[in-house]
Amino acid sequence: MDPTNEPNQFGILMRAAQDGDSSAYLQLLQALVPLLRRVVRQRRKFLQPADVEDLVQDILLSLHTVRATYDPDRPFLPWLLTIAYNRMADGSRRQMRRAANEVSVAEYPETFFDDATNTGLSGYGDPEALRRAIGRLPDGQRKAIEMLKLREMSLKEAASASGMSISALKVAVHRGMHNLRKALSVEA
Amino acid sequence: MHTDRLIQQLAADTAPVHRLPAPWRRAAIWFAIALPYVAAVMLVHSESVTLIHSGSMPVDLSRMLVDRQFIVEEMAILATAVTAVLAAFYSVVPGTDRRILLVPLLPLTIWLFSLGEGCARDWIRLGAEGLTLRADWACLPPAMLIGIVPVVAIVIMLRRGAPIYPRATLALGALAAAALGNFALRIYHVGDVSIVLLVWHFGAVVVLSLIAGWIGRRVLNWKAVRLAAAA
Repeated sequence: MDPTNEPNQFGILMRAAQDGDSSAYLQLLQALVPLLRRVVRQRRKFLQPADVEDLVQDILLSLHTVRATYDPDRPFLPWLLTIAYNRMADGSRRQMRRAANEVSVAEYPETFFDDATNTGLSGYGDPEALRRAIGRLPDGQRKAIEMLKLREMSLKEAASASGMSISALKVAVHRGMHNLRKALSVEA
Repeated sequence: MHTDRLIQQLAADTAPVHRLPAPWRRAAIWFAIALPYVAAVMLVHSESVTLIHSGSMPVDLSRMLVDRQFIVEEMAILATAVTAVLAAFYSVVPGTDRRILLVPLLPLTIWLFSLGEGCARDWIRLGAEGLTLRADWACLPPAMLIGIVPVVAIVIMLRRGAPIYPRATLALGALAAAALGNFALRIYHVGDVSIVLLVWHFGAVVVLSLIAGWIGRRVLNWKAVRLAAAA
């Protein structure tokens, strides 16, 4: 029996499902899914496949909830389609509400007008250039940058590891940063 | 979740369901619940209500039967209640012709016309005095009390259906309950001037129905129906 060819069969299957026949219900739902997908796609051409599937599932859940309202003496398809169109209208309402509160953007706009707050995305464009620039630094400055900035050691730890004094480390890291900034801005 | 899995789950959960009785049968059940209650409230409150109106118009059966306007109005009010409750129950069955939602407008219009005609007659008969509006605040408690059970019963019954037109459905349910209450209250207004009935009775029915329509989506929605079905 192929219920898709005979709409009346839907009603017979639904009557059996109401009486608790789960295999008839499974057969009915399996036959309805492609039909509902077609109906949703026809009416909502702009929807993505995942959204179509969401709507189909919504309709199936609603159908399941109100299956007691089906009268086996009446045609099945008008009953089903009324539920389907109702859920589709609800879906559109939900989408409109969401769209009213949401702005979709390809790229996030600047957070503030000030330049200093807008360096995040374009700051370290080329890590390879940075590595080369660090390699070209004088020994003391390179060591200070590596320990304090890359490995995030404290001044005390770095001082005991390198044997340099804290103030010497401060100076070295400051000069190192200055040199790096200069080297990278020339490269850019 | 994948649709196939959902189907499997739904099919696994098929306990037999009680088919919803036909709308006319549910309407009859509602009347069977609401009518005795309305009659009981009227009996309990008849003394106080009669006192309010007893000065000029005692409740008098013989007078009721010859008052043409009274009979037309009562028939129209009853027809409004019957058609509204039928339309409400039909509206929660998917696939029903939605023109049925408009049927109660016919008796409602007859009711309104009858009241309008009464107002015109009072004006001709009594002049400006025929159109003075007085407020019987003592009428309010029984009028509110009379609606409680019919309203609660119809909301519970309507939740056992599909909320396809939630606003119209709840407005019709409220219209049915309010009209039934009015059918009873009108008995105490034989010979009363029509403007009182038009504003306080008809006006209250319309306002209640509009409020019900306004909150319809909140009372009747798929979530509420799902909870009612699970209970």
